[in-house]
Amino acid sequence: MLTIKDLHARVEEKTILKGLNLTVNPGEVHAIMGPNGAGKSTLGYVMSGRDGYELESGSIELNGEDLMELDVEERAQKGLFLAFQYPVEIPGVSNMEFMKESVNAMRKARGEEALTAAEFLKVAKEACKQVNLPLDFLKRGVNEGFSGGEKKRNEIMQMILLQPSLAILDESDSGLDIDALKVVANGVNSQRDGKRSFIVVTHYQRLLDFIEPDFVHILSDGKIVKSGGPELAKEVEATGYAWLGKPEEAGA
Amino acid sequence: MSDWLAQVIDRADAVSDALTPQRQGALAVLKAQQWPTRRTEAWRYTSLHPLEDMTLPALAADTPAVPDVAGLDSIDLVFVNGALQGSLPTFPEGLTVGGLTDSAMQAVATDVFGSVKPREHLFGLVNDVLATDGVVIDVAPGAQIKPALRIVNLVTAGAEAHHRILVRVGDGAKVTVIEHGAGAGTSVNTAFAEYKIGDKAALEHYRFALHGGEAIHMGGAHFSLGDEAKLDSTLVGFGSQLSRLDYDLVHDGQHAFAKFNAVYLLGAGEHFDLHSNVEHAMPNGTTEENVRTIVGDRARAVFNGRIHIHRDAQKTLAELNNRNLLLSRGGQINTKPELVIYADDVQCAHGATVAEIDDKALYYMRSRGIDREQALVMLNFGFIQELVNEIPNEALSNWLQPLLRERFSGMQVRP
Repeated sequence: MLTIKDLHARVEEKTILKGLNLTVNPGEVHAIMGPNGAGKSTLGYVMSGRDGYELESGSIELNGEDLMELDVEERAQKGLFLAFQYPVEIPGVSNMEFMKESVNAMRKARGEEALTAAEFLKVAKEACKQVNLPLDFLKRGVNEGFSGGEKKRNEIMQMILLQPSLAILDESDSGLDIDALKVVANGVNSQRDGKRSFIVVTHYQRLLDFIEPDFVHILSDGKIVKSGGPELAKEVEATGYAWLGKPEEAGA
Repeated sequence: MSDWLAQVIDRADAVSDALTPQRQGALAVLKAQQWPTRRTEAWRYTSLHPLEDMTLPALAADTPAVPDVAGLDSIDLVFVNGALQGSLPTFPEGLTVGGLTDSAMQAVATDVFGSVKPREHLFGLVNDVLATDGVVIDVAPGAQIKPALRIVNLVTAGAEAHHRILVRVGDGAKVTVIEHGAGAGTSVNTAFAEYKIGDKAALEHYRFALHGGEAIHMGGAHFSLGDEAKLDSTLVGFGSQLSRLDYDLVHDGQHAFAKFNAVYLLGAGEHFDLHSNVEHAMPNGTTEENVRTIVGDRARAVFNGRIHIHRDAQKTLAELNNRNLLLSRGGQINTKPELVIYADDVQCAHGATVAEIDDKALYYMRSRGIDREQALVMLNFGFIQELVNEIPNEALSNWLQPLLRERFSGMQVRP
């Protein structure tokens, strides 16, 4: 499904990813852990195609396609989803309108008919309930005035509606209380169907108590330095990242 | 002096009615006025040539339909080319309404006429001397009027019409007034409204300037706020060949609150000039003003936002925000903030920007599969949608959204 080979990438003039390799097969959940500045968020931005995140060398293939050859929206239409660490507020565009437009853009790319407003409302209400957000959040401006936890749940709602083949969750646990954390985890678990894959990027092990990963990777200074099963996350929780011997403040 | 103004003055001498003493005063001022040129500061970006050069076509035989607002709880007064259609409906208790020169309304009319609108507005003076038609509204102290009063001002092709609205909202009263202007074809229209809002009274006000691309429309809305009075005013305009609106919000009482949101969308070769002036004459007043403009094609938007905080108006809180979006290379936006502050203990914020698209928002939308062009349309429209969402009247908001969307989709979007 996803093959990342020897990925080097930079943000502005600074090289952040320095030879990252990762293979994700259908249905797998991979956790990427690491200290601040290791390049965790950069990976998601490079994959989704954010301006300013530049590929230096290496390759990213999603379902056999070279991701770097595609526009941001095309990557999304090919099944890539990034749940943002800091979701963007868009006053004036309602959540409903935003999500309907994006669901229909995906459908169009797949050659399917657009959903009518009534059809969409039905699925949106379901998804809204699933992430435990009041229905009036559909009417509000995208993320406008949402709390940190509400924004994260809104991301998960979008993921549920868009049904990506690969979802990257960029610190979807940061700033969440335990109840919100469970909502996010349940949202992810409800989408695990043996085909859909996930990359869960997190600083802490906590989220992984609720989303059990198949693999855990430790990212440090732009490279995966250790991989293992769920037990690796527990190890990190016990020992921290000090064993990496790297200062935490390096990089973005 | 232009020929146009000379013929206004000629005709003004012939007007004789209950308001003649007031009109005479205005006429004397008008006679002393210089016809504005582009060197006149208040008309720097708006040329009056279209008015001077215009020849009105023959008066159209059919009048445009009265715009319907689904679900709106309102009492409608329909004026065509200045004249009231049909007879006055019945009004709820506490609401007295009559024609501009009805003897029953004379006390209110003379109380309000010219008392809120400043004398310096040239076309306001024209309206003073020529508007023989219009409506006087008196809301009794304490009356809570539920249905909105909608004053539809239709102007047909070939018409010249002058229309006046005078409103007194009694202490503690509450009312909604909608000035709904519409029309089609080439016409000349002045429409001015004055509102005296009593102590602890509340006015919800709307003005829709939808006169069509060929009209020449000059108008204004002027408000005086008493102690603890509350004003919530929304202006929505499409462009015209030439349109100029003057808004004056005057805090004559303490602890008054004024909110003014304006949205205008201009296409083709339209021109829209809004001058707003907020006078904080008394302490502890609050003003929130938001003006947003989208300009496409060869259109031109002009905004002059003035806030004047007088020496005694301590603890004033005034915010004026003007954001503009230019969609085409041929369009033009001229915006000018003007702050005059004489009190030292005030909070006053003022911003005017020609907006750029938020790159982060654009990336976010594209990362959800929405293509760039569609995302831009949504972001641009969201820019004005934000103010439409603040409209307290749901029926009006529901009516405006598709109207604005349709207007917007016809405009040229920058790639």
